This record gives sequence, structure tokens and C-alpha cells, in this order.
Amino acid sequence: MIRETTALMVRELKHWYRAKIQIFMLLIQPIVWLGLFGQALPLQLPPAALNGAPDYMSYMSVGMLAVTALFTCMFAGMSVVWDRRFGFLNKLRAAPIPRGAIPVSRILAAMIRAVISALMVLLIALIFTHIPGLAGLTVTSNFDVMSALGMLLILVLLATAFSAVFVAIALTIKTQETLFAVINLLNLPLMFASAALFPVNSMPDWLQAVAKVNPLTLAVDGMRQLLFSGSVGIYPLWVDILGLLAFSVVLVVIGIVVAMRALKEK
Amino acid sequence: MTAIIEVKDLVKVYNGSIRAVDGITFEVAEGEVFGFLGPNGAGKTTTIAVLTTLLQKTSGECKVCGIDVSKNPTEVRRSIGLVPQEMTVDDDLTGRENMLLQATLYGVEMKVAKERIDELLALVKLEEAADRMVKTYSGGMRKRLELSEGLIHRPRVLFLDEPTLGLDIQTRTTMWEHIRDLRKNSNMTVFMTTHYLEEADSLCDRIGIIDKGKIMALDTPIKLKESLGGDVISLKISGETDFTESIRSVEGVLSAKREDGSYRVKVLNGETVTAPLLHEISKKGGSVTYVSLERPNMDQVFLEYTGRSLRDAEQSGSYDRMAVAERMRRSGS
Repeated sequence: MIRETTALMVRELKHWYRAKIQIFMLLIQPIVWLGLFGQALPLQLPPAALNGAPDYMSYMSVGMLAVTALFTCMFAGMSVVWDRRFGFLNKLRAAPIPRGAIPVSRILAAMIRAVISALMVLLIALIFTHIPGLAGLTVTSNFDVMSALGMLLILVLLATAFSAVFVAIALTIKTQETLFAVINLLNLPLMFASAALFPVNSMPDWLQAVAKVNPLTLAVDGMRQLLFSGSVGIYPLWVDILGLLAFSVVLVVIGIVVAMRALKEK
Repeated sequence: MTAIIEVKDLVKVYNGSIRAVDGITFEVAEGEVFGFLGPNGAGKTTTIAVLTTLLQKTSGECKVCGIDVSKNPTEVRRSIGLVPQEMTVDDDLTGRENMLLQATLYGVEMKVAKERIDELLALVKLEEAADRMVKTYSGGMRKRLELSEGLIHRPRVLFLDEPTLGLDIQTRTTMWEHIRDLRKNSNMTVFMTTHYLEEADSLCDRIGIIDKGKIMALDTPIKLKESLGGDVISLKISGETDFTESIRSVEGVLSAKREDGSYRVKVLNGETVTAPLLHEISKKGGSVTYVSLERPNMDQVFLEYTGRSLRDAEQSGSYDRMAVAERMRRSGS
């Protein structure tokens, strides 16, 4: 099981780093967001309204990390659909491997890609702060090894949860067109109904209620507490992490069950 | 004969109405190259999908290597290799990486795998391209890689679904050679499907002619052709003498007809009868100026058993059946 899963995961990752253009596009997006969108929207809010972030750009940069992880996971579904199209999925189904290796390897690969992408965005945001005329992420906490591990844990959990969802969806949905439709249906609401880009306090009540249970909110809330001193979270840090853990466990289990059903011979 | 594939009354119905495979029964012996010949949509790929555990049968019984495909699919998967119709090799990996992945999926030990990969890549003449990305390969190279992937775990039965579909004639001939080599060098059983008559004729020990989900005939290529009435030898003999009677007296001659100096001789086996026939004529003082041997081809065989030529079958109604079956196969998986 482990050997096959690793081999399939490595295949996915090879595809990814060999498609240089994909990585390039992935980096362009946050640069555009941080560089243009952030400048055009100079929200002047006090740190208290921003989860303790010193300025809006720092606040939004953290949101960008999480959103990047979300988007990367979405594209994991695309490769599943391609594999079905080219018969590779059938080849795997004909191989003497545990069927579970197919979704698990995808989820792992998508998770790793998403975490690496998010970390790249983090790096960009940190560099942007030091470029005159641009704004980025200013860290105000005593950021130590524990905080770094905390950030990593949050990203891993968030990415695991989302990749499980999208891998299961892609294995169930047979065509690219439908998958695109579903992705579009999910991604914008997920992104805006969260604390990723705007503080939840300024949202109408019903949206706040949705945003508060969105895994993206938990992730950014936790990361902001690690990055900004004096950050008062929506939830305590441990609640954020436990919440994300619960989300990822439940979604992975559901994802694998759904995937196995989709892979069954008819 | 030890049967390595046993199929009894296999039926596969798609969406409750399309009978892609309609009650077929056959056996394949160990070490044999067995072919399913039929037009698109005849049920060939569906049969392979059931035998390779990709598709659940509607009814009937299927055993591969003595193992029931529905009851113990994982065991079956371990002992078979599948070279599917589509090109499933991974474009963004090198040839060698593709092989390594396949080896891992089939549980071949790394050390053994490395040796075997070199050996197989040499067999299909891909050593030089082994470390290039597959996206730089030609169609024929991909197919050869696909074939060698199917062999990495030394399967007892190799399933080839339309192994030369879409390849040019030269590449097709190379594929045939590879398949013949396999047959010579191992006791592996090959189950293949094709809609090329020459392919079935030149590669297979036995052929099942399949049309609209049913097996219409099943025998060796020679016997199938014989059943059409044997070979035809055409002769021209100079002079006015009628040799019809002497020709008929030769053993193995079924009938002889004379049409202005030319003779049409029907014989059981042209290769063995030609020499004695010529000998007999020269003994009677005739001088043969022209000989040709015509063997019935598989196209005629197909026509005989299905009532339509393979080309017509390809073009007519079966196309829609194929499209439907194909769509279902893809969406069903």
C-alpha cells in the first residue's frame, strides 16, 4: 500500500514541477493580488479590527496563503479527470493495488503541492514588505520555531481537507466541463464567505455565520494569531487547529469512501 | 489442452438495454495466441474489460488462470497484463520512469525491475529513447512502451486490446514481430482483439469471429479458411489437350474446371497439392505456362460467417452501438 501510494504521489509531483508554467502562473496570481489589488484597496482599519495585523496588506497576505492552498487543491481534480480521459485511471484499476492507493496518493500529492505553493506566497509577501512602493506581510509577533511549526500544521490540515474534497469530486464527476462548473460554484463563495480577505465583523449576520464555520476562516484565524502580536482571534488558537483537524479527518474519510465507490467496477 | 481463460455464457448489458456481449462461450489454452476479430462495437473491448476485472459482468462465468474474475479480482489482476486500446503511458514521465511506476504498481522488486526494464526496453527497441520524456515519442514508440509495460511482471496472460489501432503499416509490422517474439520466447498466453483481418490471420493460433456480441465462428485461421472450400490453384497449360480428368485424379483436389485453356482447381491445401499436381500434368505430357495459388482471405471468412463484409460492418449501424458502448464504458468506469 505504502509503496504504490508513494509511487503514484511522486508521479503527481513530478508532473507538477515539470510543468514550469503551472508554477509560474501560480506565483503570478498572488503577486498580482498583493501588488495591485492590495494597492487599489487601501483599507484603513485599526489593528483591532484586523485580527491584530498592523495593516490591511499584512492581514490580506495571510488570507492569500490560505486561498492559494485552496486553489491549488482545486486543480488536483483536473489531473484526475485527465487521467480518466487518457485511460490511465483504468490502468490503475487493472493493477493489483489496493484501490485506496488511488485517492490517497492524490490527496497527499495535492496537499504537498498546496503547502509548497502557500509557502511560496508567504515568501513573496515577506519580500514585498521590504520593497519600497509595495506592501506585504509584516510579522509583529515573536515568531519562533513553534510558530513556524504551527503555521505548517495549519496549512497541512487545511490543504488535506480541501484536497480530499476535490479529489473525491473529480473521481465522481466524469467530464472536465462539469468539474469546472463545480469548482467555480465552490471557489468564490468559499473564498469570500471567510475571514481570508475581509474581517468577519463587517459582514452581515448570515454571512458571518457561514464564514465562522468555513475551514479557511479557521486557518487564517490561527495563522494570524501566530504572526501578529496582540492578535485576538475569532477562536482561540487551539480551537482553530482542532477544528481544522476535525474537518480534515472527516473530509478525508468521506473523500475516500466516495472515491472508492466511484472506482468500483460497474 | 489446459484452459487458462474460461468464459461461459458471458453477458454484459449496458444501461439495461444494450447487449454489448450476448452470451459468449469460449476457452483459451495456455500458451496460445487467441484473437477476437470483429468490427467496432462487436463486444471485443467489453469482453476484455470483464476479463481484466475492469467491468462487472451481467451474467455468466469467467475464469482467468483458474480464478473467478468477479470473486477474486485482485488475484486475477496479479497474473494478467493489459495493454489497453488507448495510449495510457504518461507523457510527462520518461520511458524508464513509466516502466518503474508500472513495476511498482505490480509489486516487482526494485532490483529485479531495473534489470527487467533494461531487458524489455531493448526488446521493443526503446533503449535510446528510454530517458526521454514520452511526449517526444511517436505513436509507435508509445505503443511499444505500452506493450513492454504490460510485460514487466511476467504475466501469465497478456491482454492486447487492438494493439495496432491507428499505427502506420510499418509500425504495425514491427508490433507484429514483437508479439511473435513473445510467443516464441515464452509460454505466455496472449488474448488479443483486432478488426484487422491480416493481423488476426498472421498472429493468432485461433480466432473467434465476433459480431453484435456473439461469436459467429471459432477456429484456427487455416480451418476457417478451409471451411470456405479450400484454396484455388489457377493453371494455364499450352496446347489443346484437356487435362481436367488427370487433374481431378490428384489427391487433395476437390474440383477442377476448364475455361478456354485456363484451369481453376479447388484444393484442400494449395501448398501441398501444387507440386504433385504439376508433376501429374507433366507426366501426362502437358506443359504448364502459368500457376497461381489463391487462398481465401479472412475477409471472405468474415463475410461467410456474419453475412456482411468487415468493411460494411464498420460503416453500418454498428457505429452507433460502438459510440454508445464507448461512452458508457468511459463514464461507467
